[in-house]
This record gives sequence, C-alpha cells and structure tokens, in this order.
Amino acid sequence: MAQKKYWKGLEELENTPEHQQIVENEFQQELPVLGDVSDKLLGAETPRRDFLKFLGFSTLAATVAASCEMPVRKAIPYAIKPEDITPGVANFYASSFVDNGDYAAVVVKTREGRPIMVEGNELSSVTHGVVSARVIASTLSLYDKARLRQPLVKGNPVDTFEAVDTPIKQALAGAGGAVYLLTGTVLSPTTKVVIEQFRSKYPNARHIQYDPVSYNGLALANDATFGRNAIPSYHFEKARTIFSLGADFLGTWLAPNEFNHGYNLNRKISAKNPDMSKHYQVEAMMSMTGSNADERATCKPSEYGKVAAALYQAVVSGAAPKTGSDKLNKLISSAAKELKNNGLVVCGSNDVNVQIIVNAINNAIGAYGNTISWGATSNYKQGNDKEFVAFVDAMNAGQVGAVFIHGVNPSYDYLDAEKFNSGLSKVGLSVSFAERLDETAEKCQYVVPDHHWLESWGDAEPKSGHYSFIQPTIAPLFKTRAFQDSLLTWAGITDTYHTIFNAYWVGKLGQSAFDKALQDGIIVTEAPVASGSFSGAAVDGAIAAVNAYKGNTDGQYEVLIYESVAIGYGGSHSNNPWLLEMPDPVTRATWDNYICMSYKTAKEKFESELTLHNQVDHKKRVLKVTVNNKEVELPVVVLPGMHNDVIAIAVGYGRSKNVGRAAADLGKNVYHFGQYTGTTFLNYNVGTVALTSAFYPVAITQTHHSYEGREIIQEFTLDEFKKDPNFLLNKRKKELGHYTTLHWEGHHDEHGEDKSSAGEQALKHDKDFEKNGTLYPVHEKHGIKWGMSIDLNACTGCGACVIACQAENNISVVGKDRVLVAQEMSWIRIDRYFSGNPDDPDTIQTIYQPMLCQHCDNAPCENVCPVSATNHSDEGLNQMAYNRCIGTKYCANNCPYKVRHFNWFDWNGADSFADNLYQDGRRDDINDDITRMVLNPDVTVRSRGVMEKCSFCVQRLQAGKLAAKMEGRPLKDTDVQVACQKACAGDCITFGNVNDTESKIYKERYEENSERLFYVLEYLHVLPNISYLSKIRNTDAIVAKDKEQDVFQVKNL
Amino acid sequence: MHLKYESFVREPLITGDKTYAQVTEDICKPIEQKPSKLWYVGFVLSLLFLGFGVFSVFWEVYWGLGTWGINRTVGWGWDITNFVWWVGIGHAGTLISAILLLFRQGWRTGVNRAAEAMTIFAVMCAGQFPIFHMGRVWNAFYVLPLPNTRGPLWPNFNSALLWDVFAISTYFTVSLLFWYSGLVPDFATIRDRAKTKLRKRLYGLASFGWTGTAKNWQRFEALSLVLAGLSTPLVLSVHTIVSFDFATSVIPGWHATIFPPYFVAGAVFSGFAMVQTLLILVRKIYKMEDYITLGHIEAMNKVIVLTGSIVGVAYLTELFMAWYSQVHFEQEAFKYRVFGPYWWAYWAMMTCNVVSPQFFWFKKLRRNIVFTFILSIVVNIGMWFERFVIIVTTLANDFLPSSWTYYSPTWPELGFYLGTFGLFFTCFFLFSKYFPVIAIAEIKFTLKVSGDKYKRDMQRLDAMTTEEFLEEANHAH
Repeated sequence: MAQKKYWKGLEELENTPEHQQIVENEFQQELPVLGDVSDKLLGAETPRRDFLKFLGFSTLAATVAASCEMPVRKAIPYAIKPEDITPGVANFYASSFVDNGDYAAVVVKTREGRPIMVEGNELSSVTHGVVSARVIASTLSLYDKARLRQPLVKGNPVDTFEAVDTPIKQALAGAGGAVYLLTGTVLSPTTKVVIEQFRSKYPNARHIQYDPVSYNGLALANDATFGRNAIPSYHFEKARTIFSLGADFLGTWLAPNEFNHGYNLNRKISAKNPDMSKHYQVEAMMSMTGSNADERATCKPSEYGKVAAALYQAVVSGAAPKTGSDKLNKLISSAAKELKNNGLVVCGSNDVNVQIIVNAINNAIGAYGNTISWGATSNYKQGNDKEFVAFVDAMNAGQVGAVFIHGVNPSYDYLDAEKFNSGLSKVGLSVSFAERLDETAEKCQYVVPDHHWLESWGDAEPKSGHYSFIQPTIAPLFKTRAFQDSLLTWAGITDTYHTIFNAYWVGKLGQSAFDKALQDGIIVTEAPVASGSFSGAAVDGAIAAVNAYKGNTDGQYEVLIYESVAIGYGGSHSNNPWLLEMPDPVTRATWDNYICMSYKTAKEKFESELTLHNQVDHKKRVLKVTVNNKEVELPVVVLPGMHNDVIAIAVGYGRSKNVGRAAADLGKNVYHFGQYTGTTFLNYNVGTVALTSAFYPVAITQTHHSYEGREIIQEFTLDEFKKDPNFLLNKRKKELGHYTTLHWEGHHDEHGEDKSSAGEQALKHDKDFEKNGTLYPVHEKHGIKWGMSIDLNACTGCGACVIACQAENNISVVGKDRVLVAQEMSWIRIDRYFSGNPDDPDTIQTIYQPMLCQHCDNAPCENVCPVSATNHSDEGLNQMAYNRCIGTKYCANNCPYKVRHFNWFDWNGADSFADNLYQDGRRDDINDDITRMVLNPDVTVRSRGVMEKCSFCVQRLQAGKLAAKMEGRPLKDTDVQVACQKACAGDCITFGNVNDTESKIYKERYEENSERLFYVLEYLHVLPNISYLSKIRNTDAIVAKDKEQDVFQVKNL
Repeated sequence: MHLKYESFVREPLITGDKTYAQVTEDICKPIEQKPSKLWYVGFVLSLLFLGFGVFSVFWEVYWGLGTWGINRTVGWGWDITNFVWWVGIGHAGTLISAILLLFRQGWRTGVNRAAEAMTIFAVMCAGQFPIFHMGRVWNAFYVLPLPNTRGPLWPNFNSALLWDVFAISTYFTVSLLFWYSGLVPDFATIRDRAKTKLRKRLYGLASFGWTGTAKNWQRFEALSLVLAGLSTPLVLSVHTIVSFDFATSVIPGWHATIFPPYFVAGAVFSGFAMVQTLLILVRKIYKMEDYITLGHIEAMNKVIVLTGSIVGVAYLTELFMAWYSQVHFEQEAFKYRVFGPYWWAYWAMMTCNVVSPQFFWFKKLRRNIVFTFILSIVVNIGMWFERFVIIVTTLANDFLPSSWTYYSPTWPELGFYLGTFGLFFTCFFLFSKYFPVIAIAEIKFTLKVSGDKYKRDMQRLDAMTTEEFLEEANHAH
C-alpha cells in the first residue's frame, strides 16, 4: 500500500526550484563567524558589538566551566551496550532458590545486571509461585558484605585458585583414610553426577547428606511401613480435613513453599461456595500454622506419640481418646470422624515410631493415593542422621582422611558440636565451600567459597520428575567458584560443571526443549509411577514404644527448639538484616531469639505476668534454661497458646563473629538442646528453667494482643456464614444506613428486605455512603481507581509480603534499638490478635490482619499537612511528595491506621548532613557499597526527616500503565501486580482497577464476595481504597465475640 | 482620666504614702542601680539552661528526630505538649492587658507590664517547638505563603497547623506592639532621669521622642484602645486555633467540639498561675509590695479558681460525652486515658488542675502568699499534664490496638524544654533589669483614686456632712 504523503505547504507540494534550494540550504542566514578583527573593526564580518558579545560569552563560559568542579562519579557508562540490557528496563530470569533442601521456583528481576527482586514462578507445578520471606530476602544475602571474597588457606586469603587447588590435590592423593563429602540435601541431579565423577576418581570417597533440622524419622518410618526410604508427596490441595501434629507446614515444616498453595486453595470461601477445609492442629508451641488452625489443642512434644496413637485408635476403632486434656480428647474424636473426608495427617516429629503411627492413620483414612501420593517423592530432605553420627565417630576415631563440607555447618547446628569440632581437628584435609566464614569453615584448613545461587548455574529436582533450573543473574561478585567445579578440578577432570550441566540436559531434553525449560525455569517429565503398599507390621510396636515415653516431671519443662519463620535453620539467613528485623508472625519479636513461654507459667513461676500496664515494657526477664548441664540464658517472651509445661526457643541465632555483623553474638545457639535417639535427632529435650535477676530488652513490634472486640476485624464461624451470609453486609448497612440515604430521599431499604443481590447492595452502599456521608461535594473518579482487597481467610501471617515490600521499596532497616522505641519503617505490617483465655492455651484463637496505607479517598492525613506534601492522585492513590515534606508528623498522628513511617534518622546516607549516618554497630553493613546494589533504582531512597508510607508500588503501576499504553489497549489486571500481592503465598491480596467492572478486584468486591466485604473503620468516612474480606473459621464459636471467654479482652491484654 | 470616686470600702491598689514622684522613684530604681547578686545568679543560671537547650536542639537537628522518644504511633510528645503549654501561659498577659483594659479594671495596672512581658516571652518559647519538631527544619519556610518558583506551590490552607502559624505570629506581633506602646512613656521617664549618656541615648531611642504632650497622651490612649480591641479576639482565637490542631483530627480523644472553650479556659488558668509565680518573686525581689498588693494576688486567685473549675467541668464533660455518644472508640479512648498505662498522668492532671484550685474558695488561702506561690506552680504542673494527657495518651492508645505503644521522653526533649525555661528567664531577667516592671504611667492613673494615701484622705471627706464639705470646698482657696 502506498504511503500517505503529507506536505507542509504548497511549496513542498509544487516543489519549486526555490523550495529545493531552501531545503538544501538549511541555514539560510549566514552564521556570524569571528573574522579578521584587526582591520576596520566596524566593517569586519564580525562587527565590534558582536565581538563584545562573543568576548562576554566566552569569558562567562570559561568562568563557568572553570569554576564548576565536576564531581567524579563511579558510574560506568554502557559505551558498548550489552545486547539484552536497556538501562531503565528490567530483565527477568527464571531460576530456583535452593538452600540445602529448601526450594522455590522463582523469577529474578534484574536491573542493569543486578538482581534486585525475587518473585515466585507461577509456572511451577511444585511451588505455584509461592515464595517465603527467606527466598525474597536472598537478594540481600547475595550482596552481603560478610561473604568470602576469595579462597582461604588456613584462614589466610589467597588470590588464585591454584593456591588452594595444588595443596588440596596433594593432600587428597596422600589422604590416609576415607574421603567424606558432607553436604546438605542435594536436590540437583547434575551435582549428583559431578559427585559420582569425583567418587570415580576417589573410590574411597563417601557422600553424606546432613540436615540441621532432620526429617530422617519420616523417611525411616516410610521405610518401615512402605519399604521406601523416602518422603511421599503431600497434596494439601486435595485435603479437606487436615490434622497436623506439631508440623508447622505453612511456616517451616518440610516444604512450606509447596504446601501453602494447596492449603490456601481450600481456605478460600464465598457465599456461593461456602465450603472450606477443616484444619486441626495439636502442638506444643504456638506455631504459625497452629495459629491458623480451626481447632487447636496443645500437648507436650513427648506426647506427640500418644496423641497419634489415640487418634489412630479413634480412627480405627472409634475408641474414646484418653489424653491429658478434655479439649484434646474432644478434638481427637471429632478429627477422627472427619478425617475420612479426604483427610491428611502430618506430623512434625522426627521420631520414627510417631511417624509410623501417623502413616498408619493416613493409611486407615485412605490418604495414600489421595492426599498423599507415592507417585512422586519429595526430595527436600534426604539427610541420614545415623550416617552422620557414624561419620562424626569416624572422625574422632581418626579414620577420616579428608572431608569436604558444602552447605552445612555442623560446628554450629549439630547437637554435639564439640564432638564434631574435635573430630574435625583430627582430619588430615578439611575443606569448606562455605560462602562465609561460618563456624565450621573457621575450623577447616581450606575454604573455597561457592557462588551464591543467584550467581550459579544449577538445577534441582524437588520432587521426582519435577525439575527446576538455576541460572546466573549476575557475574560472580567475588573470587568464588562453583563447588562442583572445585570438585571436578580436584578430581582432575577438565570439564567444567557448566559443560556437564549442559550436556546432561541437552542430552535429556534436546537443545530446543532445554532452552524452553531454562526460560520457563521448570520442566516436568514423566516420573516412573511408583506406589507403596502399606504394611502395618511395625505399628503395634510403635504404639507400645510411644506409650512408654516419659516427658518432663514436676519442676521440669520440655524444651522445644524450632525454626523461626524468618531465619529458619540459620545459614546465611542469620545475617540477613531484613529477616532479622522481620517480626515473627506469632510473637511479633525481632532481632533476637528468646524463650517462648505460656502466660500461666510465666505469671505463676517466673514473675513475668503480662498486664495492661507492663505489656508495653520491652524489658523481659532473663531465665536460665539447663538441659543436660548445658545452660543458656535468654529473655522470656510470653506467648499465649504455648503448652504450660513447654518452652520453645528458636534456632538460627547465637552465631559467631565471622558470620556477619548483623548476626554476630545475637541471641543464643540452642541446637545443643536437641537429642539423639540412636536413630534420629529430636528437636526437644527435658530441662529446668530458673529465674535470674537480669532483664533484657526484646524488640517486639506489637505489644497489645487483643483487638478488644473492636469492629476492625470481622470473623464468623462457617456455620454462621452459611446460615446468614449477608449478616456482615446488613450490619454495615444498619450501622451506616443513616448516612447512606438522605432522609428526604426516604429510607427505602430500612424496611423490608432488599431484593437486589449482595453485590449490588454492597456497591450501592459504598457509593451512597461516599456521597451522602459528607457535607462536601464528591469528586468524580474517572479512569483508573486503584483498589486492594485482602482476604483475612487466606492470610497466614507468613510475612513474605513484608519482605517483598522491603525489597521493592527500599525500606530502611532500623536496627533493634529503634524497633525497641517503635521507630521501625515497614510499610506493611501484619497485625496479629489473640483471643481466648491466656491461662488456657487450648482456647486461643489467632487472627492476622495485614495493615498498610489504606489510600483513603477522604484521607485524614492529607488535609492536615501544612504544606500539602501528602495529597491524592486522580487514580485514588494517597501519595507522598518527599521533597515537599517538612516532617511535622501531623499526618501520622491523624492516620487512624498508623501506617505512616517517619525517617527518624539518616538510615541510609540519603541525608544532606555530613557524618550523621545512623549506626548501631549491627545493621550498618546495609549501607555498604556492595549491599546497596540491592536497592531498587525505581524507588527513591528517602532521606532523614520525611514521612513515608505504602505507595501501592506506584513504580509498578506506572510500568503497567506504560505497557498497556504501548500496546494501545486498556489496562488489564495482569499488567500490574504490586509487590505484596505477588509475594502473598495465600493469594489473599487482590489488586486492580476498581472502575473496571471486568477486574478481579471489582468482581471480588461487588460480585463474588460482597457478603464478606468490609472496610476497617468504615464509619469514619475516610473512604479507604483497601477492603477486607471477613475471616471465616471452620469451628464452633468465635471466642472474641464472647466477652466471658475472651479474657484477653476482659483484662485488656 | 479616672475621674471617679472609689469607695474606701474597696481595698487600695497602692499602699503606702505614695506620690507621683515616689512611684517613679520606686519603679525606676532597680533599672538605675546595679543588679543584685541574686539577679546575677538567676541570670547566669538561665543562660546555662538556655545553652543546654541550644545544644539539645542542635543534637536533634543534626542527628534527627529519632533522638526524641516519639515513635510511629505517638508522633507528638513533649514538643507539642510544651508548645501548647507555653502558648497557654501567654494568655494571661493578653487577658490582663486587653480585656481588663476594656473593662476598666484598675487593678490590672499593677501587673499588666510584667504579664505582657511574660506573654511575649512565653510565645517566643512556644514558637520554638513547632519549628524544631519538624523533621527538616531547614525547609520550615515551606509553611509560609511566599511567592515561589516551585509551581507556585502554596501551603495547605486546610491544615490546622498552618492556621497555627498565622495565629501565633499574629498574636506575637500584636502582643509585642501592645506591650511596646505601653512602654514608650515609661522609657521617656527613664530617659529624662538618666544620668549617663549611653542610657539617655538608648532610652531616648526606645521612647521614640516622647515628650508627654497632650497630643502624645491622646494618641497613646487611642492606640492602647485600638490594640486592646485587636488583642481581645486574639485571647480567644489563639488557643482556639491551637485546639483545632486536635479538634479537627479524626482521633478519638482529640476530635471534640468542646476543645476551643476548654483550651481557652485552661490557657487563662495556667497564664494566671504563671503570673502569680513571677509576680510573687518580682514584688519580693524588687520590693514592690506597695504596687503588687495582696489585693492583686487575691484578684488573680479568684480568676484561677474560676477557670480551674471551668477546666474541671470540661474534663467531666469529656467523660460524659464519651459515654453519652455511645461511640465505642471514643469510650475506649477515655477508658485508656483514665485507667490505661498513662493513668498517672491523668490523675496528676485531675489533682493539680481540678482539686487543688478549689482551696482558693477560702479567703485566707487566697491571701496567703506562700500558699499561692506553691499552688501557682502546682497549677502549671497540672496544666502541663493536661496537654500531655491530651496529646500522648490519646495517640498511644488509638483505633488499632496493634499499633499501641508507650512514649517516654529522652534527654534532648528534656533539654529542649529546659532550654525554653532558659530562654524565658533570660528574657525575663533582662526585662526586669532594663524595663520598668510596673507600668509607671498607667499605675499613676490609679494612684489618686485607689492609692492608700488618697483613700485615707477621702475617708476624712467621706465622714463630713454635706455642709462641712461645702464649707471646706468653698473656703479652700
């Protein structure tokens, strides 16, 4: 088709010769050029006046040029632009987070070659896009200043790999004893190939896998009952009844990134489909998973076996359970009945006998083949406790010639670390691949640091047949080497790991399929379908064994050690300031580990009663815990829902100085409180607790536990919801009906039933209240109006959103001292409220409510700012102009949600004052030049003295709008996903354009879930743009509604 | 002026045998003498406090507001508490000088000068807090509606904080003018008595060439009336606007329509208490017992008991309204205010502000100098707690229990507060040394009507029969 031609004028159309000349000669007037000035000044080409002009100009220009010293910046321009990088445009790479057995399929966002954000890969058939806070925070660990920057020989840095390779090879050749390769669980098939190649060179080499938090009991029980030393797949998505016996499967147990997705599918509920799973939890401490359970009771960790046995009897024969407490008995018998409806029983114990009984229950309720499958095994944890203990013995006996340690840190996390250390000192050659000088690496002769996973090639097989790839997103920052390459070098093999990796996968998939798999990050191949047939031979023995277990006696406590949701087992996470400052989902404490103790025990035995007047006091009494003559002194944090005879302490703290500045000597290590049964490691023990006279401050972000029956939370039982789904809607209409309808317009819907659908009623209510609840005219909101909906039913409190927000929006870490005085910065927080009787841990109900800027359309913060620094966008965003803010804090005071955060200090060097950077000696590496590479260049780093708060990730909104605009179409939901929404494991955050009736947010509010819709503090007429969906509990009663039962409320706790 | 007869039943406002000359002599003497040792001690102490305050503020501005104890929930602590407190203290001066002038209350002449000075110094102290409570104080000028190149970008006229800027600056300006215009004739008096050249020159400059002509006096009177007229609404408006900082918010415990009258009454209450504190000291130190009499003190104590009771009623009304409103959040806010973690502050306020002034129903206590002095301090402690209770306890326990915190001040906040005391007393010591602490000209207006000596003369005349009086009057010349 001929191009349409436009012309600028008739001259161009006619194309006269004059016009052609004009076109050719672009500059029609002669340029005044400085000519010969010596002769006849006025007649010269440049007359005198022009000369003076030039003189003036050049003098001025010279002055300016000479006086403005150009600052030297360290930016390197893309003189030769890399093919795939456009400055300002992010690149995304599919990869996999693998930390020993911890696994998630991820997408890594890189900007100008720097990975700055990790998000879930929704293509994954295993994790379905779920990532934990730890996964997201791993970008910060990549830029950790404490990482090793080159190999070490006996603690001294060396500049070349030859300097380590040569002596190691020599030592290996002359190793007088067995060669051991000690790793965490290896998920990578190609790494296993490499290990085999290494072993073919050194036939006496053995590979031992060790998990600091062991799941060996699970595999051994399966060995006993199914003849398979492995862990099957758990299908929470199929489970309608879940019974968890001490398994924190949403937070830390086995594979929370996998389980969250399936679990939450069954927690979604609407009036059209008023059905949800039922979750029973019996546990010793208050875990995050337990806090989400519908029915919860406590028992001591030593009683897990008895509870399992009771449940087994109840399931098999209907026998009435006879455990310690009535609540527990009731819970077991009701669970026994319901478990037959697609039930699933999981247990956090690592005791083989307990797991055998659990297998028997699962078999009895028909879980195998339904909610549990042997079709694919879960490979997350393959550690073998017995082998490891034998290895430690072998070291001590001097039978080990060389040991190579990758990914694990037994000097820190083995329950008898001293024995391991003494053994290690007897080994002829000890090599660590640790990325930092951790407790074990310190004691090794050579440290050859491995890459961070964001710098590596690799793969993983988290479940058999489900493969996942790791690809580097940045060139290695330091002189590190893939540990596989190190092994290959020392085995004298010239291939690199990358060639082996490539050959393996191209061989397996073919080049094009491999390329696609690498791009997708995952591939699922047909796994050999295997099933196990249950053999109950071991069950009776196991029941007899667990019934013989003895727990604590009077005056003693069972001491449980647990992984916290943020830090986990330790590793590099221990030194991650984001994770250290992330409030624990249940205790809301940061920066420390502590003794979790029940309210009653703390009050009666340890002078630590919680009252309205002392709950705000951060000074906590220090107690001394003694187990097997090993003492640890830690502060006590009262945690409702703890069993009265149990105390719980998180692992992952108490690290050595070299692990990093943030982790150094923070809290205490309690791994040594575990025990070894002769077959497996257990995570509890019996000990005594004694009062000391000391106090220690614990930085807790939320000190009040009850929501005091305030209408800020709406929760109902499933039966209530089924019976009257419109209850909440009607309540809202009743409360505010007076303001939604003007009296001269008649109260038409106060009398008689409103026949319109709930969605229409909700929409009308919202519109009418906006318009008629005020004296002022209403702003019409055309175009885009951003809104968010948060489903309280799906929020598990995991905190992934908190870390995602921190990573996305460059939120400052403030350090413990500042958290202590409530000067933290987190834009999104998860409020956690308890109800029930603190004296009785079995009555506690917990609710989580994510709280962030509500982007009120009638925002109280906006009208009080004297300088209009916070104002409203025409898209419904409550926005901050940091440059304009003078920091009166009036907006924060007037915010009913208290979601505004002030830059109390110069947290990050963005201040214009010299030398006033805030430093506390612990968090300061966050401002290191390397660590600052984690900052998102799209988001301003706020300076001291200004207010900040959630922006609804305005940079993402802008990018989404631009993407839609470039494609010339209206914005769609998929264009924009805010950071917290993307990170939410429960998919509880819906975000989008409320004005678009096709958007998910509109549908959720006004079509699908209007019955559960509510706004926090709606009556204030601040018109928040964030709505919540009520919490529905699959239980008999909401404790918080019964003032008699909710002692928290009565006592104002 | 004051051509009125005053019954001898009324207490004299000036005791002793005073003539015009003696009045001038008494009031000017401290200015013309070397100050006492006590003065030097007090002045140096004040300077030390001021210095510590400057250091505290420097520390805060340099490191950031995190050096204060305020936090994500309680965004205002001692800063705004002290601001409101100081502004409140200022109120008595304006009330005395403006409203009492309009009502022709003769007794005001004994105390108005010092009270006005106190107003000005208190407002100066108050002003420091909103300025230095800003996170970026170097951008404080953003609040001014100056023409600018940023858009132009104007301040937000909806913000009560901006209204404060205007209210306080207007108040300060008018008070300063009022005070200074009253000082002009007195400066002229000192100038005329001056024995050193420097003093003559400086006071000459300060008195703007006052010659004491009838025209001078006429204009002086007119200006006084105009300024009194301007100041009178300010007495009510300034603290009303300060109360809007809270009343226009949405926070339960702040959002209350009772705040304006309640704040004004509280301000007058605390202001008079502060005047008492200062004048009891001044009359003692400068031996002004003849001019600031027990009658003055009693009159002010009556104001204190009145306003204290108004404030008490306001407290009870708040509680009643919280219950009566049936608004859950409102009720809870007051529950935590009274019984929550800050219960001690609430009860300190109640004791100091409501219970203690009731002693002034007894005349004996009203006229007891020591008791008055102690109580005046107690009242100001109470009024400080009132502001603390309103600001801090309200914020500490607001809508969402998850964000409740506890606020305790840190040393820079304490230092800042002490620093404003330093500023106040530095100014006050300079004032008492270099300025006439009693309005010479004005007190002379009342001398021949309410002076002790003249009243005693009047007593003799009063006792006469009409005939005798006529006789004497006719034969007087």
